[in-house]
Amino acid sequence: MVKVKIDEKELEVPEGTTVLNAARLADIEIPTLCDHPALEPYGGCRICLVEVEGARTLQPACTLPVFDKMVIKTQTDKVKEARKFVLSMIFSERNHFCPYCQVSGTDCELQNAAYAEGMTHWPIQPNWQPYPVDASHPYFVLEHNRCILCRRCVRACAELVGNYTLGMEERGSNTILIADLGVPLGSSSCISCGVCVQICPTGALIDRWSAYRGQTKDVTTTKSICVGCSLGCGIEVIHRDNNLIKINGDWDAPINGGVLCDVGRFLPMDEKRSRIVTPLVRKNGALKASTWDEALRVVMDKLNPLVGKKDDGVASIISTRLPAEALFYFKQIFKEKINSDMVTSTEEGRYTAVLSEIAADKGSFESKLSEISNADAVLTIGLDLTKDHQVAGFFVKRIIPKGVNVIPVSYEASGMDGFTPYSTVINRSTDLEFLQALDAEIDGKDVSSLASKAGVSVDQLAQIAEILRKAESSVFVYDAEFDSKKKKETIATLIKLAEKINAKLISPKGKANSLAAEQLRLNKSFELNGHQAVFVALGDEEPSQNLLKKLDNSPFLVVMASYESALTAKADVVLPVANWLEYSGNYVTSDGQVQKANKSLQAPADVKTSEEVLLEIADRLRMVINPLWNKAIKMETSVIEID
Amino acid sequence: MSKPKIATDWMAGCAGCHMSLLDIDERILQVLDLVELRASPITDLKEADETGVAVGVLEGGINNSANEHQAKLMRSRCKILVALGDCAVFGGVPAMRNFFTIEETLKRAYVDTESTVDGFIPTDPELAVPTKVRAVSEVVPVDIHVPGCPPSADVIFHVLSELAQGRIPEIKDDNLHWH
Repeated sequence: MVKVKIDEKELEVPEGTTVLNAARLADIEIPTLCDHPALEPYGGCRICLVEVEGARTLQPACTLPVFDKMVIKTQTDKVKEARKFVLSMIFSERNHFCPYCQVSGTDCELQNAAYAEGMTHWPIQPNWQPYPVDASHPYFVLEHNRCILCRRCVRACAELVGNYTLGMEERGSNTILIADLGVPLGSSSCISCGVCVQICPTGALIDRWSAYRGQTKDVTTTKSICVGCSLGCGIEVIHRDNNLIKINGDWDAPINGGVLCDVGRFLPMDEKRSRIVTPLVRKNGALKASTWDEALRVVMDKLNPLVGKKDDGVASIISTRLPAEALFYFKQIFKEKINSDMVTSTEEGRYTAVLSEIAADKGSFESKLSEISNADAVLTIGLDLTKDHQVAGFFVKRIIPKGVNVIPVSYEASGMDGFTPYSTVINRSTDLEFLQALDAEIDGKDVSSLASKAGVSVDQLAQIAEILRKAESSVFVYDAEFDSKKKKETIATLIKLAEKINAKLISPKGKANSLAAEQLRLNKSFELNGHQAVFVALGDEEPSQNLLKKLDNSPFLVVMASYESALTAKADVVLPVANWLEYSGNYVTSDGQVQKANKSLQAPADVKTSEEVLLEIADRLRMVINPLWNKAIKMETSVIEID
Repeated sequence: MSKPKIATDWMAGCAGCHMSLLDIDERILQVLDLVELRASPITDLKEADETGVAVGVLEGGINNSANEHQAKLMRSRCKILVALGDCAVFGGVPAMRNFFTIEETLKRAYVDTESTVDGFIPTDPELAVPTKVRAVSEVVPVDIHVPGCPPSADVIFHVLSELAQGRIPEIKDDNLHWH
């Protein structure tokens, strides 16, 4: 600890603390622009200059570490003059006329900084050099005229996402933000995660959907979690008058720390499906608008005689995007009350069932997602983290510059290839052979035949084995969707290998509540068999081709869904349910953390939540629902400890 | 003691700042109790008194030779010059044209506009000569900058009542908006 004095306030702070953070600890505000809590200090904008006793010139608070007995002054005339001067220079550099800027009002950090200094005007007019506007990206616009060159976006793209798309070109007043080697954003290596847009302090990066639809002062923000996949990223749902305006990453969320991928941030904005707003019942071959009472009566007339029929009654499927409450009620209705032998989820246990089998023998064996940031070597197999569970991919990509060796193993070229020299392409469905070869190589055995089966060279295997052998805290990120015949053996080999080199295992699994559905053992492969009716609780999920095919010949089909789809078109009864923004409920992340998603929007008048519909059906079946989902998901051994 | 005189004028702006001045509603009576409103776009007198006024208020930026004359005349006849609104303070919306040449903007306005048939750029020697749009402070010294597009009626009332009572208004916190 060192002693510092800031504006007459004395305090002790840990060694290495920056002057800016020390001032924050003392509740003293120092204005910043290029600095951001999620990024490394940069010292680019110079607005945080402070006076340090003994220093010849003013010093940037954001990059300067404190020293013992340091005396800092943040409010002297000299400091204030410098701040105003820096702001004046920024304002006069490009087009910073507020009246026609999207963020003017409450959301511009540059404007707020000028207000805080009481600037009524700027003394130097800009030189009126126009800069280009890059509107080539489908989700956001890059308006160079509003850019203050703080490089927050560049650093976020590198430090947080590890994608290195953004950079700077030229010098002085010609300095300009570029994507890759100066190509339009829309045709660059940008992965559309939008972290740059979220972190931009001015109106230089504007999100197309939310632009001009309301600022912080006009909108409501609901903290929730993303249900785009099972990682459980924290989000802020920004809405106004029951309209979704924007989704931001929650900087305070422990899992993602503010970053999101395009699936979480932009996909929900791009919702093009038609909403179902009233119950529908098939009459004379066509679906007709109906009432809840009539629709449920038709459903119950069908279900009631089938209660107790194991293999010729009701087959049922529930979406793993639905909350744990709905999953548990669903299981009680169809498994326990109706006693059907076909109660499963839309994921059919694809990513999880085999993991549970192994966990039943040897107990929980997976680790937390956060272990990736502590890893000194990462091997990914059976998945492409640049396509699915992308935020986990960011975690992997961003540790590469620290010298961490990353070995993505896949059947084809992947988005990871450009970031690591160790990308390994193996023959299709030879994960098992590859892992066996790697295992043998680590043991120093002959691997030539296994290696040739997997389609990798012995040298390549030796290189990977060397990396893993040397690593002290390696992590394997895998997906249990290996070749179905060899699935269990593949995973067993992976576990054996992990144990040998003391690696941690992480699998990101499937959709938002993949693990909760697995813990309720809604994990069977769906077969219609002799069932006379099918009940699908689809929520807002888009039915897969696989599911559609399996349900092709359903004799009687009930679908609970938010949106019209090929499945609802085939249904005999459609029950309209809330989408993910319209209910609160609990989700279990792929690494076993239980989180609550909070309702941010009001569903249309005649739409109920999936939970409400299931409770109504339970009521009509005269059964009492056990609400303790949180106990139920812990009944069986889980692949990873559930909090 | 006679009441201090105020004169206002309007250059390259949209008149919104004067509208906002009228938006102070009945409070204008309080202001008029304390000051004498002389020349302004909303009174008959169009130029500040030759004998001088205490406060001159200018709305709009300076975008041609006529505006330049107006600004210089007001400056020479007032003790305290107020730049009212974003156009007067920064150049504002009209300054968007500064990113183009004057020839380009004239051609766009008089020839290329979709609704124009057989357009031409007027050349009458009596017309003012267009220039780049400038903030008032680029042409004459300004004493008080009141930003806003427009400054709200409350801000204008604050500025006028402070001036009327012999104080230089401070524009900060809730009164400070560049819009």
